[in-house]
Amino acid sequence: MRLMTIALVAAFAGGSAVAFAAQHSIMQKGKTFSESAITIKKGDTLVFVNDDNIHHNVLSTTPGNEFNLGSQAPGVSTPVTFDKAGQVDVMCAIHPRMKLQVTVTD
Amino acid sequence: MQIVISRMLRGAVVAAAITTVTATVAIRSDAATVGQPVAIDVKNRPDASPEQLKAKYRRPDSIPFPKDNPYTVEKAVLGKKLYFDTRLSSANLLSCASCHNPAYDWGDGQPKGVGHNMKQLGRRSPSIVNAAFGGIFMWDGRAGSLEEQALGPIKTDVEMNLPIDQLLEKLKGIPEYQPLFRAAFPKDGLTPESVAKALATYERTVVSGRAPFDAWIEGDEKAISEDAKRGFTLFNTKAGCANCHSGWNFTDDSFHDIGLSDADIGRGKFLPAVVKMQHAFKTPGLREITRRAPYMHDGSMPNLEAVMDHYANGGEIRPSLSELMKPTGLSAQEKSDLVAFMKSLTSEMEPTTIPVLPR
Repeated sequence: MRLMTIALVAAFAGGSAVAFAAQHSIMQKGKTFSESAITIKKGDTLVFVNDDNIHHNVLSTTPGNEFNLGSQAPGVSTPVTFDKAGQVDVMCAIHPRMKLQVTVTD
Repeated sequence: MQIVISRMLRGAVVAAAITTVTATVAIRSDAATVGQPVAIDVKNRPDASPEQLKAKYRRPDSIPFPKDNPYTVEKAVLGKKLYFDTRLSSANLLSCASCHNPAYDWGDGQPKGVGHNMKQLGRRSPSIVNAAFGGIFMWDGRAGSLEEQALGPIKTDVEMNLPIDQLLEKLKGIPEYQPLFRAAFPKDGLTPESVAKALATYERTVVSGRAPFDAWIEGDEKAISEDAKRGFTLFNTKAGCANCHSGWNFTDDSFHDIGLSDADIGRGKFLPAVVKMQHAFKTPGLREITRRAPYMHDGSMPNLEAVMDHYANGGEIRPSLSELMKPTGLSAQEKSDLVAFMKSLTSEMEPTTIPVLPR
């Protein structure tokens, strides 16, 4: 995490060539994730943005990458960093038709 | 800069999130790391025009069947016989149709189902109408497909109470079933999976009929009353019904605690750590709704007027209560308009013929 911070600071400071932890935004408008599947690297962050007009509750119960954002109000953006490689099934607990498969690579 | 941002719709949003992430240091080795939430500016979408709104409720042209269990006449014919066959229960008294009875619009008309030895079950028997269009099944969502759901009530001791190995033995002992299984499943014949697939195929053919509402959606302005038209507008606006009861089948398969005062935690049994899933149940569709009383997962409301009063009051306040449950301030006229609208969703369904069962 410290490395990531340094990398980001360097990146912001002046266009460093350091390739490092990436950010990907996942939107939720219309009870739909903006992606149905995404491949990221270990240490990357998905930013779950509730740009819908109702609450969502994004979570995963995949062992090693569990998380639960709880009730996320419209207009809230929450980052989640994945630190273990593997397939991660992400869904909205309230709206289980909203599914996102995350592949975390080493 | 090597940061990759996909679908970056708002640069400021992502920049803010990045700032937050750099400040997040707590990493557990056994879970993903949730950073600090930040507020973003969400622009309200413009209201849909009446025509755009109506387009969302247009009936589909066909029934969807899954790739791993496509429709065949042979499966549907076999599935219908299995569906109505009381020998799928240990006492030879209960069939699927006992609780999901076409005479009661594919429910049973009772507040709660009745299972083995006439014992009352915990929840109301849901109608199977339009199950083909569902994405998750049972009031608590414990089945991910109709195939997964189909064997559950058969083997559950308080329902049909017939272990699957005994089910197979019984079906093997009924000679006239054998050619039906061979025709429907030439490769596998009689297996637990083929029983489930046949039942699911038949259930998918149970679709609500064309209602006055459908004629109105398709352009016949005289098909429904002015009360019902006002009710449709309220349904999609002030009353907030369409936040969950959306689309032509009037459900988005979502789970909510709507504040009914019973001890049943519903979906919470499967997601115990998720506050909003405690007392949460699946949003039922509303097709044929006037013939499906009593209402709610616990059958606690005798008519649609009582349902309107419940939503107007907002339900029992507790941590799990859905944010969408708020007192709506609906007037008596508005409640009446909403009920008039829901009445327009009931069709003249064709009577269902009962099959002759194999012996």
